Amino acid sequence: MNLEEYISSGIVESYVLGLASEEEVQEFEELSAEYPEMMAVRRAFELLLEKHALANAVSPPADGKLRFLEAIQTIPSNNQSKIVNMENNGTPMRKSNGSRFVAAASVILLAGCAWFAYHSYSQNQELKNSNAALQAKLNSDDSILNQIASEQNAAKEHAVNVVNMVGTQPASHSEANVFWDSTSQNVYMVVKNMPKLPNDKQYQLWALIDGKPKDLGVFDVSDQKFIIKMKNTQKADAFAITIEHKGGSPSPTLEKMQSMGKTKEPI
Amino acid sequence: MLKERSNHAFAYLYDNYSSALYTIILQIVPDQELASDVLQEAFVNIWRKIDSYDQSKGKLFTWLLNVTRNVSIDTVRSKGFQNSQKNQELPETVFVDNSGYVQQDVDKIGLRKVVENLKKEHRSLIDLAYFKGYTHEEIAEIEGLPLGTVKTRIRTALIQLREHLK
Repeated sequence: MNLEEYISSGIVESYVLGLASEEEVQEFEELSAEYPEMMAVRRAFELLLEKHALANAVSPPADGKLRFLEAIQTIPSNNQSKIVNMENNGTPMRKSNGSRFVAAASVILLAGCAWFAYHSYSQNQELKNSNAALQAKLNSDDSILNQIASEQNAAKEHAVNVVNMVGTQPASHSEANVFWDSTSQNVYMVVKNMPKLPNDKQYQLWALIDGKPKDLGVFDVSDQKFIIKMKNTQKADAFAITIEHKGGSPSPTLEKMQSMGKTKEPI
Repeated sequence: MLKERSNHAFAYLYDNYSSALYTIILQIVPDQELASDVLQEAFVNIWRKIDSYDQSKGKLFTWLLNVTRNVSIDTVRSKGFQNSQKNQELPETVFVDNSGYVQQDVDKIGLRKVVENLKKEHRSLIDLAYFKGYTHEEIAEIEGLPLGTVKTRIRTALIQLREHLK
């Protein structure tokens, strides 16, 4: 079939009037895109149809336009949504005032329940939060208390030497105590006031025995720690604190010495 | 403007096309009250589907006409409509056509007026295909004709319809 025969086969009219099958529609659209003369024939028939329809039209009831314009106001722009016509059948709405009252009452009741549920929920959340906060506070207070207790125990030990560490020139405000139990050989640090160090530095405690330093371990100054257990020592003439690289040094950097304190002779 | 769903544009569309579309509805749904409901539904459908209108595939009126025709045929084919028609008593001004539907005399309006000029065998095929929305296969069964014959006759009828429109 050539194009002319195809065009005059009635396919154009069939397509425009919506009577063509899916395959016919597809074929027609493909050929139309290729051959402009087909488009022209199609448009001519469309115009003919439109002219005739407009010339022979019967007017619909006058209220239709307003109804339509009102209808599209209430439809959300969402294309998927469906309109459900609530049928009324012309019966008067005010069938029973009782049922209206019940309806209104249930709406109010529902709103009340919703408010109550929401209120209880948020109150419960608040209680949970404050409970958790209290628990955390209790835990931290407990650990502080334990630290204070062990600090006091250390101080009460019979053979405990409390060595007041006095700040030296580079750190004249430094204050700390070393608790040294010469019997058990335990050494504790209690930092009272020492500046915080950069992350790569640590304080290191030394015991000086016959003029030679002995490493007693490193410590950090933090807000949390009240008493720090250091390494044991059997003897100590004096204690010294220096600033060393993190992890400590085998021998003290004496120019960085922060504080020093002499031990009394054990009783 | 239409695709942005401007109310102004749709008011204009309604002013210009509601009569022509109401006329096609009446040819499918003869009951005037129901036809005006169908017109509402058709316009809401148009408003919803305006994004799918493709200018390259046809004029706006052609699209409007097809949307409206589909809504009308869906209405007639819905169960609710068929039941209500069966339960209705026959007023004097209507007659029952051979398919059993109660129908007002709408042969004097719109496209049907043109279809009236066709040969009888063509007329009934256009009625079944265009105004009742049956597929060619269904028509072949209803009329007891081979599918090929149905296709050829409908095409011939359409060509003649065009001549009568001129």
